[in-house]
Amino acid sequence: MRRPIPLNALIGGLLITALVLTAAVALVWTPHDPLAVNLRARLAPPGGAYPLGTDEFGRDVLSRLMAGAATSAIVALATVAFAVIAGGTLGLVAGFLRGWTDRVLMAVNDALLAFPGILLALGFLVVFGANQWGIVVALGLAYAPSVARVVRGTVLSIREREFVEASRVIGNPEHTTLWRHVAPNCIAPVAVLATGMFGWVLLSESALSFLGLGVPPPAPTWGNMLASSRPYMESAVWLGVAPGLCIALSLLGINLLGDWVRDRLDPRMAAHA
Amino acid sequence: MVVPTLLLVGATVFVLMRLVPGDPVLVMLGDTAGEAEIADLRAALGLDRPLPVQFALWLARVARGDLGASITNGQSVLGLILERFQVSTAIVLVAVAAAALIAVPLGLLAAWRQGSAADLAIVAGATVLVSVPSFWLGLLLLLLFGLKLGWLPVVGFVPFSENFAAALSFLILPIVTLIMIEIGVLTRMSRAAAIEVLRLDYVTHARAKGLPESRVLLRHVLPNAFAPTWTLIGLTLGNLLGGIAVLETVFTLPGLGRLLVDGIFARDYPVVQGCLLFIALIYVVVNLIVDLMYPLFDPRVTAE
Amino acid sequence: MRAGRIICIALVAAAALGAAAPAEAQGLRVRLNADIRSTDPGVNRDANTDAVVLHMVEGLVAFREDASVGPLLAESMVVSEDGRTYTFRLRENVRFHNGAPLTSEDVAWTWRRYMTPETRWRCLTEFDGRGAAKLIGIETPDARTVVFRFESPSALIPATMARPDCGGSAILHRDSVGPDGAWLAPIGTGPFRMGEWRRGQSIELIRFDSSAARSEPRDGFTGGKRAEVERVRFLVIPDQAAGKAALLSGAIDVLTDIASSDLAELKARPEIRLDVAATMGLNTLLIQTKDPLLADVRIRRALALALDLPALVQAVSEGTARYNASAIPVSSAFHTAPHAQGYTRDLAAARRLLAEAGYRGQTIRMLANRRYASMFDAAVLAQAMAQEAGLRIELEVLDWATQLDRYTRGDYQLMSFSYSARLDPSLSYEMFSGPKATQPRKVWDNAEALALLRESMVTTDTARRRAIFEALHRKMLDEVPLINLYNGAEIAAMRANVSGYQGWPAGHPRLWGVRVD
Repeated sequence: MRRPIPLNALIGGLLITALVLTAAVALVWTPHDPLAVNLRARLAPPGGAYPLGTDEFGRDVLSRLMAGAATSAIVALATVAFAVIAGGTLGLVAGFLRGWTDRVLMAVNDALLAFPGILLALGFLVVFGANQWGIVVALGLAYAPSVARVVRGTVLSIREREFVEASRVIGNPEHTTLWRHVAPNCIAPVAVLATGMFGWVLLSESALSFLGLGVPPPAPTWGNMLASSRPYMESAVWLGVAPGLCIALSLLGINLLGDWVRDRLDPRMAAHA
Repeated sequence: MVVPTLLLVGATVFVLMRLVPGDPVLVMLGDTAGEAEIADLRAALGLDRPLPVQFALWLARVARGDLGASITNGQSVLGLILERFQVSTAIVLVAVAAAALIAVPLGLLAAWRQGSAADLAIVAGATVLVSVPSFWLGLLLLLLFGLKLGWLPVVGFVPFSENFAAALSFLILPIVTLIMIEIGVLTRMSRAAAIEVLRLDYVTHARAKGLPESRVLLRHVLPNAFAPTWTLIGLTLGNLLGGIAVLETVFTLPGLGRLLVDGIFARDYPVVQGCLLFIALIYVVVNLIVDLMYPLFDPRVTAE
Repeated sequence: MRAGRIICIALVAAAALGAAAPAEAQGLRVRLNADIRSTDPGVNRDANTDAVVLHMVEGLVAFREDASVGPLLAESMVVSEDGRTYTFRLRENVRFHNGAPLTSEDVAWTWRRYMTPETRWRCLTEFDGRGAAKLIGIETPDARTVVFRFESPSALIPATMARPDCGGSAILHRDSVGPDGAWLAPIGTGPFRMGEWRRGQSIELIRFDSSAARSEPRDGFTGGKRAEVERVRFLVIPDQAAGKAALLSGAIDVLTDIASSDLAELKARPEIRLDVAATMGLNTLLIQTKDPLLADVRIRRALALALDLPALVQAVSEGTARYNASAIPVSSAFHTAPHAQGYTRDLAAARRLLAEAGYRGQTIRMLANRRYASMFDAAVLAQAMAQEAGLRIELEVLDWATQLDRYTRGDYQLMSFSYSARLDPSLSYEMFSGPKATQPRKVWDNAEALALLRESMVTTDTARRRAIFEALHRKMLDEVPLINLYNGAEIAAMRANVSGYQGWPAGHPRLWGVRVD
C-alpha cells in the first residue's frame, strides 16, 4: 500500500524460495552423505571435493548445510502449526466461554507469558527430551500463549457483533457459531503472528542447539553446526560463518516477507512491529 | 495479581524440575559413588522426603525470603542470583539504553521521510540487524576483535569490585552485540509508531497552524511515538534478563542466564527454582514500572 | 551518537589496560573448575576437594606413579602371615603444621574419628565390614608403632587406605576439630598448610617450612614431597575457555584438564608449555547385554570387529592416547603383555557374524552427551564405522545428568561412557562387573567372572592376582560386555617459567616440587 513495487517482499520471497528448494533437494540428494565421516579429511578448507570444506569429523559442510535446511524448515513449520493449533484452541475456548474458564485459562497463560520464550522452551525441552519432536512441542508450548492472547482478544471483540448474534438467534448450537462464525475471523491476526513466529522458531532452534539442547547431533542443523564450530573458531573460520550466514539470510527472508504479509492482511497492525 | 502468578510459577517450576530425569546427587558424586554414599547425601539434602513435603518446606522458606542453598556448591541461592544479576543487568541496561538512543531518532527520521532513500536504507539496515542471530554476531565480533585484532579479551570475567576497568573490557563485546541487535528491533518499532502518529489529525493541525517542522516532530510526534516503543523496551528488558543465556555462553560471562542453564544441567533444584522465580518477579516488576510510567509519554492515556 | 563515543573511549581504555595485567608475585596460581566442598579429608568432598586437601594432609600409605601402594607417613608396613594384621612403623621427626610431633596416638585418634558414623567419612563402609574389610582393632604398642587388626584378609586394604577419595585416610592432629567434634581446619603433615579460603573464588595454601619430606624422589602421592613455592593459590574459574584465556594472559600459571581440541593451538604458543600424562580413567562403549538384540554375543562381537579402534582413538584423543582393550590402565603394573590383546577390525567377519545372528538392520540406539567432547566424538565415529559393517546405530544425545541416570538404571542399548580412575586392578573390573539384578548399572554379569573377581580381592599374592586379571581380560574379550577404547590423557598447560610440574595416572594435580622462575 506504500510502495508500488514491494522490492523487500520480492527479496524475501526469493530467499524463502531458496530455503524451501534447498530443503526439498536435500531430502533426496546431497553432494556427500551429511553423516559420512572421513578421518583423513578433517577440517579441510573449502575447495576441491568439498566446496565449503569439512568439519572436525571430516563431514562435508555443504551437504550438512543442505540437510540442516530441511531439518530446520520441518521443525519450524511443525512448531508453528503446533503453537497455532494449541494456542488458537485455548484462545477460542477462553474468549468464547468467558467467565470462570476464561479467568483460569488466562491466569495460566499469563504465568507462562511471564517467562522469556526461550527459557520456557528450555524447561520443557529438558522434560520432553532433546530431540526433533521434543523441540517442536517445547517451542510450540512456549509460543502458544501469545497465540492464545491474540485469538482470545479477537474473539472477545467480535463475539458481540451482529452476525454472531444472528447465528445464535437462528438457533445454531454454540459450537457451530464458534467454528463457523468466530474462528474464521481470527485467521488474519494469527497468520500475521505465525509469519513472525516462523522466524523466531528458526532462531530459537539454533539458540537451543547452541546451548546443547537442540536437535541432537549427528543430524545436522544450522544451530548445532554453529555450536560445534566454536572450538575451531580461529583455525577453521568457514565452519562457523557458513551456518550463521544461512540462519541470517533465512531470517532476513522471513522478516521481509512477514512485513509484507502484515501490510496485506492487517493494515491496522502494520504500525506495531 | 503478582503473588498468585509467582505462586503458579513456583509450583510449575517445582513440578517440571522433578519430572526431568536425572538426579543432582548422581551428577555430583559421579561414577565412583556407592549406593550407601548416594543415599546418605540424598538424605542430607532432604531429597528423600515426599515431594509435597519438599515443596511445602521450600515455599515456607521462600516466604521468608530465603531461596535455600545450591545443591552443587552449598552457596546461598539468593546470593548467587544477586551476584550474577549484576552482570546481566549491566549488559542489558547499557545495551538497551544505548540502542534506544540511536534507534528512536532513526525510526523518527525514517517515518518522517517515509519512502525516501534514507527510509529504505534505515529499514533495510534494521531488518538485516534483526535477522542476525545474536550468538553468531557475538562469535564474529569475538573472532575479529578478540582473536584477529587482539584488542579485547576473548573470554572470562573479573568482578567489578576487583578491577573495574578490566571488568568493563570483558563486557564491551557482549554489550556491542546486544546494541546492534536491539537497534534493529527498536528502529522498526519506533518507525512504525511514528508513521501512525504522523497520520493523526493533530499533527496536521499543528502543521496547519504553521508550527516549524522541527517543533512538530519534537513536541508532537516524538512523545506519542515513543509510548509503544517504551512498552517494547520494558518487554525487552524483562526478556533479555533471562534470555541472555546464549550470549553469556558465547562470551563465557557469569550472568543470570548462565546460572540458570548450568543449574538445569546439574539438576540443582534450588538454583533453578530460585532463578526462575526471580526472573518472573523482575519481569512483572519491570512491566509494572513501564505501565506506571506510560502516562508520562502518552498524553492520550492520561486523558482517558 | 553519544553512546557511540562512549564505546570508543571504553574500547581504547580497555585495550590499554589489557596490556598491563597485574604481575605481582602471587606464588603459583592454578585453576580449579569449581570451588572445593570442604577441607575435611574424605568427608565432604569431590575430586577438586581431594586435589587441594591432599596438599595439606598425608596418610600412612599412598599411591605411587604405577598405582602400587607405598608408605608415606609410615616408614614400613608389615603384613602378618594370615593377612589380618598390619603393623605400621611411623617415620621419625614428622611434625604437624602446629609443631606437634606425629605419634601413634594421633593415628589411633584419627582412625577412631573416621570409624565413628557421625564423622560421615566416605570410606567408613569400606572398613566396617560392608566393603573391603572389617577393622576390629587398633593398638599402639609404642609411640612409633600402630597395629591394625582386621577380621579377614583382603588384597584391597592398603589401596583403600590410600584412595584419594577417602582423603588418603589422612592422619590429622586432634586440634583439627573443635571440642564439640565439629571440623575446623586441617592440621596435617603435608608440604603446604591452610591459608585463606575465599568461598567461590580462591583457596590459598602456604608452604609448611618444617615439613619432613621423604628422601626418595617424588612418586605419585608419596616420595619426596617438597614445596618449592612460598604459596599456591587455587583460583575458581568455572569455564574452560575462560581458564584458557586466563593462562594465555598470565593470570594463572597452571591449567589442568585441557581439552584435546585445544592442544594444537596451545602447542603453537611459545609462552606456554604442555605436559601430557596418561591417566587411569577409562573411555569405553558400554553394551546392555540384557537387551533382546544385544543379548546375542555375535552381534556384540560384530560391533567390536566393525570398529577401527586404533584410528578411532587416534582421532578422538588427537593423538594423545593409544587404544587399550583392557580394563586395566596402561600405566598400571598389572597391565601385563596379555592385556595388549584387543580387537582388530575385520568387516567381513563382522558381516558374517551379523548374518549368522539373523540381524536384519534393526536400529540400535547409542547414548552420548555433549558435555564431555571425548564421549561424543567416540560415539559419532563408532556409529560411522559400524555403518560400514551394516550395523545401524542411531545416536541419542542426552544431557549428562540424564545419561548418568540412564547409566545408573541400566536403561540403554549402547552408551559412550567414561569411568574415572580406579587405582586398584580389582576395582578396575569391579566398576563394570556385578549382578545386574541388584546393581543395574553393571554391564558384565557373569558368574564365573564374578567368582574370579572376588578371589582377586582377597588374594594378597601378586602373581596369583596377575593370573586372575589375565584370565578376566580374555574372558571379557570373548563376551564383549563393553568395548574399551583408551585411558584418557591428562593434559596440563603452564606458563613457560613454571618447571617441575608433571601429571600422573591418578590425575590429581600435584604442586609440590613445582617452581616458578
